[in-house]
Amino acid sequence: MVKRDDTRDLETADKWEVQLRKGCLELAILAALWEGKLYGLEILRRLESDSDLIVSEGTVYPLLSRLKALGLVQSEWVESDAGHPRKYYALTSAGRQRVGQMAGMWTRFSSSMSRLLAPLAKGK
Amino acid sequence: MTMSDDMSGDAQRRIETYLSRLRQRLRGVNDRDAREIIEELRSHIMDKAAASGKVAGEAHGELTPAAVDAALAGLGSPEELASQYITDDLLAQAEVSRSPVRILKSLFRWASLSVAGFFVLLGSIGGYFFGAVFVLVAVAKLFHPRTAGLWVFPNGSGDFEMSFRLGFGSTPAGGRDVLGWWIVPIGWLVGCGLVMLTTYIALWFVRQYRKSLVFPQG
Repeated sequence: MVKRDDTRDLETADKWEVQLRKGCLELAILAALWEGKLYGLEILRRLESDSDLIVSEGTVYPLLSRLKALGLVQSEWVESDAGHPRKYYALTSAGRQRVGQMAGMWTRFSSSMSRLLAPLAKGK
Repeated sequence: MTMSDDMSGDAQRRIETYLSRLRQRLRGVNDRDAREIIEELRSHIMDKAAASGKVAGEAHGELTPAAVDAALAGLGSPEELASQYITDDLLAQAEVSRSPVRILKSLFRWASLSVAGFFVLLGSIGGYFFGAVFVLVAVAKLFHPRTAGLWVFPNGSGDFEMSFRLGFGSTPAGGRDVLGWWIVPIGWLVGCGLVMLTTYIALWFVRQYRKSLVFPQG
């Protein structure tokens, strides 16, 4: 009985973490493009190295195409040394504005969460 | 033919097989977008495979079948990947348009991909159908005041049966027009209400499904 409850708690915690990561992915992709244009694989590597968001490639490409359809990013093909062109993404002005708003929301949200969680950190 | 030519030919074939399977499943996406998707993913696979080949000490430009397989595995199956592109594309259109025709069109697509989509499609067809019947009868009443409406009549085996009549043909023997002229306002109200409710519910499901697509579990 106790054991089953434990597994359920663990599952709930896992689901919560998945939801949390999911919610951040759009912001993370837009933020990765803040400093300039990148192609898909570069975006993936940026996300992997600068965050511990676990991102699957099969998720990022369709999401990029959705962000493009929403007018938040634009794309262009650029020839490369590798012998094949690469599709680069850049923020549109709407995307730049949107990611700015999202970042502001995120900062306010995370600082209020940090205040709320401060007692837990002290208790450790 | 050298051994390495053979290897890279095999690697190329794997890429093309994957991409053509993906292309087949991108039905509904317009040609230009589909071509872009394919080209982008080809470029991704080649970069990814070349990078892992370099780590393994392969010469630049040599794609090994193993490196290609690893890159393809990262993308998931062509079916799964295509469904993320397609459904998102169509459902996105449905979400902004709110037109029943658009919604049904994207539900058809979704139904071909999943059981959940099939049931949502079935429910939506039912909802739109009954909504349309109510409105039709309300309109028909204006042209056939005596015969159109919601009728109750004996069905011969001792029971009564209820049916919407558009007013063609004669009235059933022993039947009664239950609502009379009330069918006009009631038909419009209930009919439009049903269409709106169906749209609302279908879009709710569509949104839930889209969320799970853009951010799949795991």
